[in-house]
Amino acid sequence: MDPITGMIGIIIGGIIVGICVHFIPASAVGAMSASTGIATGPSMLSTGCGLAGLYAAGYMIGESLPLVVLSGAMGSALMIICTMLLANTICAFGTGVAPVAGSYDKDPITGWRQKPFMSPGTDGHSMPTTTALSGIIGALLGGAGGSLVFVSVYEMISPILESTTAVTIAGMVGAGVFLINCVIPAYVLVGKSEGMTDKKMKLMHKTFVSCLIVSVITAVFVYASVVVI
Amino acid sequence: MEPVTLTLMIGVGLAGAIAFIAGIIEDAESDAGSSSNPNSQVQLAPQIGHIITYYDKAIAGEPPQNGLWAAAACTIALLLSWRFADLGMGQYYAIFFAAVAGAAVTALVQGCLGIFAHISRITSMAAFKQPLYWHALLTPLPYSMGLCFLTALLLTLLSFVASGILGNSFAPPLIALFMGITLGSIASGTGDIHYGAERLYQHLPFGSGIAISNQGDIDLKGEYGFRNSVDTPYFCMRFGGTITALAFGLLIFLDGWSRLFTFAGPWTSIILEAAIIAVLFIFLNRLEKYTRDSYGPYPGQEDA
Repeated sequence: MDPITGMIGIIIGGIIVGICVHFIPASAVGAMSASTGIATGPSMLSTGCGLAGLYAAGYMIGESLPLVVLSGAMGSALMIICTMLLANTICAFGTGVAPVAGSYDKDPITGWRQKPFMSPGTDGHSMPTTTALSGIIGALLGGAGGSLVFVSVYEMISPILESTTAVTIAGMVGAGVFLINCVIPAYVLVGKSEGMTDKKMKLMHKTFVSCLIVSVITAVFVYASVVVI
Repeated sequence: MEPVTLTLMIGVGLAGAIAFIAGIIEDAESDAGSSSNPNSQVQLAPQIGHIITYYDKAIAGEPPQNGLWAAAACTIALLLSWRFADLGMGQYYAIFFAAVAGAAVTALVQGCLGIFAHISRITSMAAFKQPLYWHALLTPLPYSMGLCFLTALLLTLLSFVASGILGNSFAPPLIALFMGITLGSIASGTGDIHYGAERLYQHLPFGSGIAISNQGDIDLKGEYGFRNSVDTPYFCMRFGGTITALAFGLLIFLDGWSRLFTFAGPWTSIILEAAIIAVLFIFLNRLEKYTRDSYGPYPGQEDA
């Protein structure tokens, strides 16, 4: 992969990583079963699932680009579905509540009504079917974006470095992109998101622009370190 | 059976088992230190007049904190294992003893962080007449450090298994960072619900989320005397911790398991993981149906 293509890969991957956070349902108040979503901040949850995707992509490095990217996406989606299924289990048997969304009254997929099952004084709890599907889409995007950054950096630096060193540096850049680009949407989401049914999806263009700027800086930095230095 | 496949199978089983135990311990560690999302309730309590005896070391999010412990322990372990190997120790002994040393250093650092974090957290509540009780700090501190030691040790061993046996291309400290942050997110997203929505509010009726108006009104009495943070994992480990462990153990085990087969070449693991995700999604939908049918709508809200 030539450095310019690698740079474009880093920029596209970085933007996808930022966008993915909008799809992942998460809310810190969810820890008290007082809000729909996985019971932690959207940024850190997206980072966690993206890094699980990077770990999965680490098994595939050296294969073709689609394989590495898809492997990362699947690893990430596997993490989020395990987390959502078991979080719903805790809500069902640990606190005794059914999954309920606050952002819609009828589930678009199952058609089940939400409001009657919402405990009084709360804004929903755990993840009903549509919200969970949104989480899977977000994780697929995040894992794919992170893996694209990872493989782009790896392809850029592998001609000038030993293979194991190149993998490690590419992994660190991939993890760094998650820690930066997943935090940027926090300014839009302000600690809570119900995924693709949330009204905050309309603010995605702000995330897009800010992640574009940050990703360009990251890509230029990596390009400079590979080509210029 | 091919010896390579057998080794991989043993590696996948070992990684899954280590991940499962690490999940239980990590969730207990975060519960003992109130170091995740329910810490907001612990901090709210003095503001509504409750004097608390919880240990509160929440000055960093659970995922990065846990990632730091794991990465630090694994880095020390990797460097020490090279040194031990140079001294003539066998490879596996070197890794194990180095992992113990790395985890011990991390536990000491966590203890230092815990002391200062708790003191600063509690003194910031002085305006609400919250005293700094030494027993609230000194009783759970060694317990929390012990749990941190075990988490760091297990994640270090998991990283060496993933790198050495399963063939992940990343260096062990980087895998430890990934696993630490991932486990922190999973524990924060699953196990904490049992702590935040149930353990802290056992005086409220079972079968409801915690209404915003009740937040901060946490339990102050334990099984005997005032509740401290040693009591929390005693309760949460039995369900919240085990479910957290199942989530992380399933992730590591299923991810490794999908790589044991080769029927579609390198695409095999992707096809299998997609199938697993679809099956788990169906389970999630059936669980939703089951809970709706079992619990029914809230009284008075049937027509809401």
